[in-house]
Amino acid sequence: MQDVTGSASPIAVSVRDVGMVYDGFHAVKSASFDLPAGKFLTILGPSGSGKTTLLRLIAGFQAPTSGEIVINGKAVSAVPAHQRSIGMVFQKLALFPHMTAAENVAFPLKMRRQDARTIPERVERYLDLVKLGGYGGRRIHELSGGQQQRVAIARALVFEPDLLLLDEPLAALDRKLREEMQLEFRRIQRELGVTTINVTHDQREALVVSDEIIVMDAGEIQQKAQPTRTYRNPQNAFVANFIGVTNFISGAVRSVAGSNAVLAHSAVEIPGIVGDERNPPRAGGQASGAIRAEQIRIAANARSLSGLDIVLEGSIRDAIFEGERIVYEVCVPALAGEALRVFDHDPVDHVQFEPGAAVSIGWNSRDVLVFNN
Amino acid sequence: MITSTSKSVILWGFVSIALIVLSAPTIVVLGSSLTAGNMITFPPEGLSLKWYAAILRATDLRDAFLRSVFVSAVCTIVAIPAGTFAGIALAKYAVRFEKAIQVYLLLPFTIPLIGSGIGLMLIFGNAGVLGQLWPVGIACCVINLPFMIWAVTASAASLDPDLELAAANCGAGPLQTFLYVTLPAVTPGIISGSLLMFILALNEFLVSLLLVDARIVTLPVQIYNSIRSIITPDLAAISVVFIACAVAAIFLLDRLVGLDIFLKSK
Repeated sequence: MQDVTGSASPIAVSVRDVGMVYDGFHAVKSASFDLPAGKFLTILGPSGSGKTTLLRLIAGFQAPTSGEIVINGKAVSAVPAHQRSIGMVFQKLALFPHMTAAENVAFPLKMRRQDARTIPERVERYLDLVKLGGYGGRRIHELSGGQQQRVAIARALVFEPDLLLLDEPLAALDRKLREEMQLEFRRIQRELGVTTINVTHDQREALVVSDEIIVMDAGEIQQKAQPTRTYRNPQNAFVANFIGVTNFISGAVRSVAGSNAVLAHSAVEIPGIVGDERNPPRAGGQASGAIRAEQIRIAANARSLSGLDIVLEGSIRDAIFEGERIVYEVCVPALAGEALRVFDHDPVDHVQFEPGAAVSIGWNSRDVLVFNN
Repeated sequence: MITSTSKSVILWGFVSIALIVLSAPTIVVLGSSLTAGNMITFPPEGLSLKWYAAILRATDLRDAFLRSVFVSAVCTIVAIPAGTFAGIALAKYAVRFEKAIQVYLLLPFTIPLIGSGIGLMLIFGNAGVLGQLWPVGIACCVINLPFMIWAVTASAASLDPDLELAAANCGAGPLQTFLYVTLPAVTPGIISGSLLMFILALNEFLVSLLLVDARIVTLPVQIYNSIRSIITPDLAAISVVFIACAVAAIFLLDRLVGLDIFLKSK
């Protein structure tokens, strides 16, 4: 047992060098992070990134091959899942089909031997919390998808666990309901102040609900930061690519000075900021400049773009109308015909460029992050 | 339009033929049991329930029927725990020799019943329990157990594997998880399996024939013995009672768990 109460803000969950190997496959490679109590953390990554494995290790369904998980100051490796105080909402919810909504919510209380007289009142209070008051008597299959979500949340929270785990429970919902439930999760989490770890592959969900985001890929933690920082200062090319729509312009590194770097692509010099200070590009090496689609401006002529550091001529290859924005693919001859994706959120006079139209694009050098290839 | 009409005519033609062929024996037996005459004939000569009254009075038929019910009960009571545990184990855990066990479960269709019947006769003979009724129940259970295991396996395999993890997450230990989550979730399979076992044991003829002696014949054997001397309409009537038992079981099954578990697991 290790005690962490000495630290300034209490750490609810501490994952220390946790690794998981299945049949020689490293699902999780030496993951470490601390999560302060009351925070909402999202582990974001593509499928196969090890995010769900990490969550299940924390839940106690499997024991890590190496490392230690510490919850509220106690090492839990030797504690079986049913003795950990962790509530979980499963991907497919895993509600007990032979029980009513109220019986599902009461189940953790019964298993934890709570005073039977207080159980109905507690169950009702938590059904109210998830806005399902009066639905307790319904069978699970009589509830809609969104209502089932709410039962699963109530069941995970009713015994006031130290930690709430969410294993992509929103993945199967349609978009409207998913966005509604994201805000619900956020509301309930703030109301109860329960430390929460959410797993998802949905970058939007991660940005909307989280206090902190961990981006995982290939079993490794790529970055742990607040949502705005994760979005604006991605640690490496993977994070920059996974979150948001990002253009990568690769080229030779012309020069590096402090946090500034200059790339050369074809005849164009592209200045930018060093993206990963621990792994800075070196002059003479190959690197990529990452720039978000929304940081590139587009106009009919270069004059409208005066004031931007870099302005290039191009032609529209494709224009996709997405309602609140138009996504252009712009072919840039100066970049050897490379195509850049550009968002136009406020088309002046609602003008939409047609494919083939000649346009100018431009951006500021501080919006270009340079990563080693 | 014409082609789709003729297609549906042909389809319905086949369905009707299949239905007629399948139900013909039942209809013939039902018809001839209602005869007012003294011979088994179809169509019946007049209508009466007198042969049903006759089987009520015939103590040998009634006793044989009760013996069959006892045999079925023994079979079902043994099959429930054995089939449930085996079915859950096969569906949920990586059991050793799983392939071999699955092949073994196909045996009832491939090994002639007369073979396994003789084997069981030798075993029970050696144990000195021939001439009693309960070994017949055990024998029916041994022979039909794969059906029970199948029913439970079908139920258990469709379970979300996260269900047991969710139970653990709720604080339920392994035993509580089994009692409160796994077992209730496979109950439909257990119910349909047991009803199937009961009906199969009730109908079992060949194995009973080998294991019973003249004093303790079960109903199918009793009917068979009677046929060899004289065929009277009371045999048709008792056959109808048999069919009614099966229909009752199916009705019960539909009310308790619904028939889709069978329709899906075909």
